[in-house]
Amino acid sequence: MWGLLIFSVLLGGVLGKEDFVGHQVLRISVDDEAQVQKVKELEDLEHLQLDFWRGPARPGSPIDVRVPFPSIQAVKVFLEAHGIRYTIMIEDVQSLLDEEQEQMVASQGRARTTSTFNYATYHTLEEIYDFIDILVAENPQLVSKLQIGSSYEGRPIYVLKFSTGGNNRPAIWIDTGIHSREWVTQASGVWFAKKITQDYGQDPAFTAILDNMDIFLEIVTNPDGFAFTHSTNRLWRKTRSLTSGSVCVGVDPNRNWDAGFGKAGASSNPCSETYHGKFPNSEVEVKSIVDFVNDHGNIKAFISIHSYSQLLLYPYGYKTEAPADKDELDQVSKSAVAALASLYGTKFQYGSIITKIYEASGSTIDWTYNQGIKYSFTFELRDTGRYGFLLPASQIIPTAQETWLALLTIMEHTLNHPY
Amino acid sequence: MQPCGQSLFAPRPGNRPPATRLLALLLLLALQGAAAAPAGSRTPEDSEWCQDAELPQGLLLQAARAALHFFNFRAGSPSALRVLAEVQEGSAWINQRKERKVDLVFTTELYSTEEAKARLGKCSARVFFRNEKPRPAVNVTCTQLIERQKRQEEDYQLYRHMKQLNTPLDVVSIPDSHGHIDPSLRPIWDLAFLGSSYVMWEKTTQFLHYYVSQLSSVKQWKTNDDAIDFDYTVLLHEFSTQEIIPCRIHLVWYPGKPLKVKYHCQELQTPEASGTEDGSAVAPIELSNF
Repeated sequence: MWGLLIFSVLLGGVLGKEDFVGHQVLRISVDDEAQVQKVKELEDLEHLQLDFWRGPARPGSPIDVRVPFPSIQAVKVFLEAHGIRYTIMIEDVQSLLDEEQEQMVASQGRARTTSTFNYATYHTLEEIYDFIDILVAENPQLVSKLQIGSSYEGRPIYVLKFSTGGNNRPAIWIDTGIHSREWVTQASGVWFAKKITQDYGQDPAFTAILDNMDIFLEIVTNPDGFAFTHSTNRLWRKTRSLTSGSVCVGVDPNRNWDAGFGKAGASSNPCSETYHGKFPNSEVEVKSIVDFVNDHGNIKAFISIHSYSQLLLYPYGYKTEAPADKDELDQVSKSAVAALASLYGTKFQYGSIITKIYEASGSTIDWTYNQGIKYSFTFELRDTGRYGFLLPASQIIPTAQETWLALLTIMEHTLNHPY
Repeated sequence: MQPCGQSLFAPRPGNRPPATRLLALLLLLALQGAAAAPAGSRTPEDSEWCQDAELPQGLLLQAARAALHFFNFRAGSPSALRVLAEVQEGSAWINQRKERKVDLVFTTELYSTEEAKARLGKCSARVFFRNEKPRPAVNVTCTQLIERQKRQEEDYQLYRHMKQLNTPLDVVSIPDSHGHIDPSLRPIWDLAFLGSSYVMWEKTTQFLHYYVSQLSSVKQWKTNDDAIDFDYTVLLHEFSTQEIIPCRIHLVWYPGKPLKVKYHCQELQTPEASGTEDGSAVAPIELSNF
């Protein structure tokens, strides 16, 4: 019952933008008809602005009234003068409303700390952006949020920087969610962010990594696409840019990089899922990363995360010619995949993009590798087609956990093999 | 069968399967009762073919996928659907029309089981990827994963559940965005997958393969006659194009009887297309030849 009354007050408050600071709710006990009449007199005094939740009826029936702060003195004096008993039900209506608002929000699942955040479910863009802010607030010494650009539709593009100091240290880059429908990747990115803050200072191997290198993590690399998968089409892959001369929307951000751009392995049809765009870096989501990488100048490992197929891939996608570092990349991949499998037995294959998955031009790690970032890898996470993009949320954490082991392998190798 | 000569390909060291494996394969095919190959399939002349030692990347996987879709369709058993575990061995032949014939052995798991140590079934198959009629011709035999009686019982159980379901016409999206399938709706999903197997078999080529992403709508679910009459749309995910292909499928199923399927898949929108839908959105389908 209280809930209903509170709710109506809240509703009124929200709609009317009133505040109820200092307002009290009194319960009045009337013993006889005379007292009932006296309270009815009170009701008629409009200037008091009384709000009767339960109006005067008959002797023995309690009367509940919300009294605005300016009228409290007058009402109490009146009741006391006429010997009418009352108790204070609510000392301060506003405090109660604030408390309830907090509870409502909490029960909706909006976490206030990264400890209460639910990592085993898929989240909206807003929830992930809130998470980012909370994580930064909880770990101000370790984590900072950088905005590297704005999406086509004007959404901020954020990168988390994990650093223990130094000046432009050699860095590891990880991105998730470049293809928006690959939901397990953004969800894993969120988990990685938390994991980093937990393990630094706790796990010796990881602490060594972060003591010497920085980590950049872009969790929602394609925010427009991601918002679209929530609002309209769960299986949307591309950006949401408009292409002049076409009714079709979006460019494949993993065909838009300046490496073999436009060659076989991408489509020139704007309606295609692998449309490469009108020119390299036409997509602001891609350009923002390109600019960041170029400006930073000291990124040593670049890992772009996709799903699904359970693969660990290195360059190239646009040509069959093997990269100069093929043997080393192959070795690192072998170790990384073994580390991944050690947790739950999940089997990954590894190799170059063009041999393991298909010919693909203008893809991310082909560009980063050509820029001199030797340890350039792409992951395709769980599964192998049973659920595909619609991976059950129960698999988020196991996927993130096993992938993290592979990432650690790559990061450690990068640390131990400076170049 | 000789390795491909210079007229077709540069000579390479052969990669012949050992005689014992070939023999085993031949025996298996001979022991098969009614031929599993669809009527009207061409048996290629031996002299047309030469051994394709190059084995293009992923060809064995493509063949395994085609074979498995066909197997699932022919078995007609929504409780015993299989997924690919691993390709173990295989070899291929190519002819002058660049059609390929693949012999292979692969392992399978049950689709419905997600245990880490799931029991593996073993299949051997011959898959013929043709040019003019793109549907691959398949001969496949698999070891038993579920005892036949048990499988029949489980199919019948599924059938009974289906008969009891309220018409799920308002059902949209199985699985939902979070990958969840309501247990009560699982039989619908299994049957939708079975029907999709027919479609995916027909559409699999040397270069394209498919997975079922989602059951996006149910047009009709009739159970008042003996058979289940199911009219629905699935979204197929196509590799390597990454396209999402909506396919309208109409099937009729009764446990133990061959599955009857008709379908129509939406084509990719061309750049000149008019209209308001996005390239890969789920747009209404015209069923002119349904």
